[in-house]
Amino acid sequence: MSKKGLLGKISYIVGLVFISFVMFLPIYYLVITTFKSPEEAAASPLGLPASLDFSNYMKALDAMNYLQAMKNNIIITSVSVILLVFFASMAAYVIARSTKKIYHIMFAIFLIGLIIPFQIAIVPLYQIISGMNLMNTHLGVILVSVFCINLPLTIFLLRGFIHTVPIELEEAAYMDGCGTFRCFWLIIFPLLKPIIATVVILNTLAIWNDFLTPLLFLQSPDKAVLLQEVYKNVGPFSTNWTSFFPMLVMSTLPLVVFYIIMQKRVIEGVVAGSVKG
Amino acid sequence: MYNKQRERVFMLMILPAFIGFIVLFIAPTAMSFFYSLTNWSVYNPDIKFVGLDNYKMLFEDVKTVSAIKTTLQYAILITIFQNIIAILLAVYLNKKMVAVNFVKSLVFLPAVLSILVVGFLFQYIMTSADYGLLNNIIQFFGGDPVNWLGDSKIAIYSVLVTQVWQWAGWSMVIYIANLKSIDTALYEAAEIDGAGKIRTFFSVTLPLLYPAVSFNLLMSLIGGMKVFDVIFSMTKGGPGYATETIMTTLIREGFNSGRNAYASALAVVFFIAVFILSRIVITFLNKWERKLS
Repeated sequence: MSKKGLLGKISYIVGLVFISFVMFLPIYYLVITTFKSPEEAAASPLGLPASLDFSNYMKALDAMNYLQAMKNNIIITSVSVILLVFFASMAAYVIARSTKKIYHIMFAIFLIGLIIPFQIAIVPLYQIISGMNLMNTHLGVILVSVFCINLPLTIFLLRGFIHTVPIELEEAAYMDGCGTFRCFWLIIFPLLKPIIATVVILNTLAIWNDFLTPLLFLQSPDKAVLLQEVYKNVGPFSTNWTSFFPMLVMSTLPLVVFYIIMQKRVIEGVVAGSVKG
Repeated sequence: MYNKQRERVFMLMILPAFIGFIVLFIAPTAMSFFYSLTNWSVYNPDIKFVGLDNYKMLFEDVKTVSAIKTTLQYAILITIFQNIIAILLAVYLNKKMVAVNFVKSLVFLPAVLSILVVGFLFQYIMTSADYGLLNNIIQFFGGDPVNWLGDSKIAIYSVLVTQVWQWAGWSMVIYIANLKSIDTALYEAAEIDGAGKIRTFFSVTLPLLYPAVSFNLLMSLIGGMKVFDVIFSMTKGGPGYATETIMTTLIREGFNSGRNAYASALAVVFFIAVFILSRIVITFLNKWERKLS
């Protein structure tokens, strides 16, 4: 190898190390601090912990009511994502397949949600949710997440994909006397797998990490999600940050594990979600 | 006859989504417009029509005007920085190497964390208290500590840096996907023509990145306008009201102070600001596209 090529290679690797360093340092700091006492953390903030002491985690588990909050997160995220896939795929199918004008008008109305941020609606939305007696219920948060926040993009992505599915398949099924509804779920829906994966990933990230909606619509501690528990504890633990950091780790751990396992899919999902948005 | 039955089923399949959307998005959005013209608040249960009074109040309120300015400034800056850094990273990391793949996954990682958590983490890193990591590092290299979050002149930029750190990877993967679709023959042609690396970037790469640029610019712009969680966790709008944004003001006025009509007027202003800004960006993008073809 020529001298110039070698030098270029070395400087490229130095660049990689620099990028990794900038990205990783805050996360490294977060994780190692969770194993330290405040004294140890103050004395050597970036040093490895003297021992793998999980007592901070034990305290945090208790203080943030972890299992209950985690359960609430799982309920809200999974039910929302299932409902989104269920309602949006049917709606997108109709929009993609029917030539009737009414459905095009409906689609245009759904698209308004892509242009107007939902935050404009939150004050009256609060009235509507309390009017429906859904304040402080998981169902209230789920309905807001599904219909107010995430529906338009989900329909938009699904519709784009359904356009690429050949129509001959369904026509053959109709000929055989398959009803529209059954035909959709038995024949079309299984073909949508790639875009369903995208939609599930994007919505899971968005709903799991959403703080504003639970903050507005859930008040009682037994209904609270992980982020609300973190928020609740930041005051009391402000001087004792080595006990607070485990809460940050534990509230994000599920999604980080999800990302590490499904990395390729997650990134493909983000890319697929960007196609002509 | 057969088709008629099909149309009826079609209607049943789309209606649940449509009704939900009307009730929980379109109706409250329209109500925001309506309430912004009234005097509705928790202290004032009989609603009266007051014309544009809320808007006048809003633009006479120094705090609110400052929040609108801060938000616009934040959104524009994050759009610029996040995308420049994401494009540079994408070009740098668009290689087939195991080590590069690892770095790419690492750059994307913060995007799966919640904004609130990233905000709390950086609040501790940037704090001017003794244990503040960033100031410790600066002092280790002989510099003077900086009051990252307590100085009203720089607090918003400190917040901005954390968000660029968190979201650059998200834009980057979109740019990389776009880069992969560029025909390598174009680069060979540029090399034969004797174009240098920088020249090739501006005359081959950047124009062909048009689809990713247009998507990413709009996404970071709208995301920047909505900034809330990170302010909530890092500065709470302070010091003073230096980092108050439209969303933090809207939540405070609408929910903590109970000034519903005022908050609705701010929501409408928010919508108009988002609309105008994205129009400007789209016009600019269209001009660029026309120049390319």
